Amino acid sequence: MTGRDDDRRLEELVDGIVVLSSGDLSNRLEVSPARDGIDAVTTGINLLAEELQSMYEDMEVRVAERTALLEAAKAELRRVINTDELTGLASRSLLQEKVAEAVTGAGRGPQPALILLDLDSFRLINDSLGHAAGDAVLREAALRLGAAAGARHLIARLSGDEFAVLVVDQEPDAVLEIASRLSESLKDRIVAGGVAVALTAGTGVRLGEPGLRSEELIRDANIAMHEAKKRGRDTLLVFSAAMHEAAKQQVHLVAELRTALATDELELEYQPIMDLRTGTIAGTEALIRWRHPDLGLLAPDTFLDAADEAGLTVEIGHWVLRNAIAQTGRWKSDPGLPADFSTHINLSPADLHHVDLAPYVEDLLVRHGVEPRHISIEITETAIMRGGPEVAATMQSLNDLGVRIEIDDFGTGYSSISYLRTLPASQAKIDKSLLDGLTTDRQQETFVAAILQLIHSAGLGAVAEGIEDREQADRLRHLDCEFGQGYFFSRPLPVADMTDLLAHRDGAAA
Amino acid sequence: MPENDLETPGGRDISSLGFDSSGILRLEWARGIVIDAPNAQLAMDRVNAMCDGRPTPLLIDMATTESVSRAARAVFAKRCDASAIALLGASAVDRVLANFFLGVNSAPVPTRFFTDRDEAVRWLMSQGHDGA
Repeated sequence: MTGRDDDRRLEELVDGIVVLSSGDLSNRLEVSPARDGIDAVTTGINLLAEELQSMYEDMEVRVAERTALLEAAKAELRRVINTDELTGLASRSLLQEKVAEAVTGAGRGPQPALILLDLDSFRLINDSLGHAAGDAVLREAALRLGAAAGARHLIARLSGDEFAVLVVDQEPDAVLEIASRLSESLKDRIVAGGVAVALTAGTGVRLGEPGLRSEELIRDANIAMHEAKKRGRDTLLVFSAAMHEAAKQQVHLVAELRTALATDELELEYQPIMDLRTGTIAGTEALIRWRHPDLGLLAPDTFLDAADEAGLTVEIGHWVLRNAIAQTGRWKSDPGLPADFSTHINLSPADLHHVDLAPYVEDLLVRHGVEPRHISIEITETAIMRGGPEVAATMQSLNDLGVRIEIDDFGTGYSSISYLRTLPASQAKIDKSLLDGLTTDRQQETFVAAILQLIHSAGLGAVAEGIEDREQADRLRHLDCEFGQGYFFSRPLPVADMTDLLAHRDGAAA
Repeated sequence: MPENDLETPGGRDISSLGFDSSGILRLEWARGIVIDAPNAQLAMDRVNAMCDGRPTPLLIDMATTESVSRAARAVFAKRCDASAIALLGASAVDRVLANFFLGVNSAPVPTRFFTDRDEAVRWLMSQGHDGA
């Protein structure tokens, strides 16, 4: 072949490479019959182009496969995110999405409304019948709510025992009718764990308003539902602006309470408990106060509900234990404690659900050199009855430590009295409401006498609270009530005054 | 000696296939053939049929091969009854084709490219095999 021929072939080769490099990998260069060096290069380029083309095709197939897998995984993930696994209802996130869509898409007609339902005392079902029964109840509740709501409205399970129904295109009357139908649907007995249970729910309704944002719709329905729960079982409330104001104040209070815990604004006052037989000090009840920078000294009933909602109850309970036991240790050193003296500390049901409570108390006792018999833990009758096995175990552990257990607010709960004999308690405190008419109403006196007899026959000592005058104190002593506290003896005292009282205890408090 | 085998389906792609006196199976592709997956598989089946399960040295004359497709190379990368393969070529094009196969696909048995037939035979004979 001539040199000119080679030049032409090389030029063709270059042209072919240009086509390939433009991205057309299907192009193949012609190999001449000469099978010389230029042909060898051409063959090599053809082979490389084929290799590249094939790799690209493989890659495209693989990308398509992976994309399909990814799409399927995304769809599955979305299904999981959007569905409540237990009941098959919509999840919280789907509800939020649909509420936002409904609010955005609402025209001039009826605005979307939201109904929230929280089952009353559902925890009792879980605790007493077990989680499997609890789940069965939730599934049945979901079915009934679904049937009551109708297929047009989205129904979701938001958490444990909380449900929501998004109602669209309905006038307020119709929304309320649906809300009422929903709560009624739960009332027929459900058989779970071999037991028939009747459900009620706290229901909060937020009727839609033009311009209301989806977060506000959900927030307000929540406020209404929480308010309904506070008012008692089987309550339905429609959101009002006043509720929002109260909720805002509550949020503010909670924020302040967190600060109070961190900055030592909480303090304890101590109300003496007297031995009615001897007139000497038998103990003291530690009572929490909040020295609020603007509002002054606040009693626990003004902030403990907020603490409970904010989940601060256990932290506050621990704070009280720490401070009351430390103070008892200081009194023990100076001015000294009477032999049977005990500091009474109130604990909430939430505290008692913590299995580490007994070790925590034990550690404090050791650290402050306090003998267990100098501490008495007061637990309300209701907390004991509703507490379930964890509370019973905690009470037993505290009792094993040697700490005394006292049943608080005795006579106000609705418990069976047979439990009195089985509890590891040493005292029961009768509620001050039972003292009303003690000195004026013969029948009431007989009634109190019977209660005291009941307490004694269970082997417990009795404490009466809210004693306001000598007559009541005398009458209780006459009825063999061993201990008493109340304004007649002393108001709750700051630490310094209580210390003084202990220092001069021979002089008697009243 | 290698025999012509034009009557078998696809046989026209193979110029000749047969054992030589030293027991080497020789395969000669038809002039100017474009080897793709079907005729590659056919050749492999034919080789296997000839070997009848015995590991056999194989000499492939590819001196006039036009091209070998990627799919065909994948077929040759599968194990067959050949115990060693010598690829015999003459031109630079053959060298590129052969070495592309050797470089891209890992051959299942010892495989080398030669331009000298005697050298190819010597190499095949030096590879361990049961012989035919």
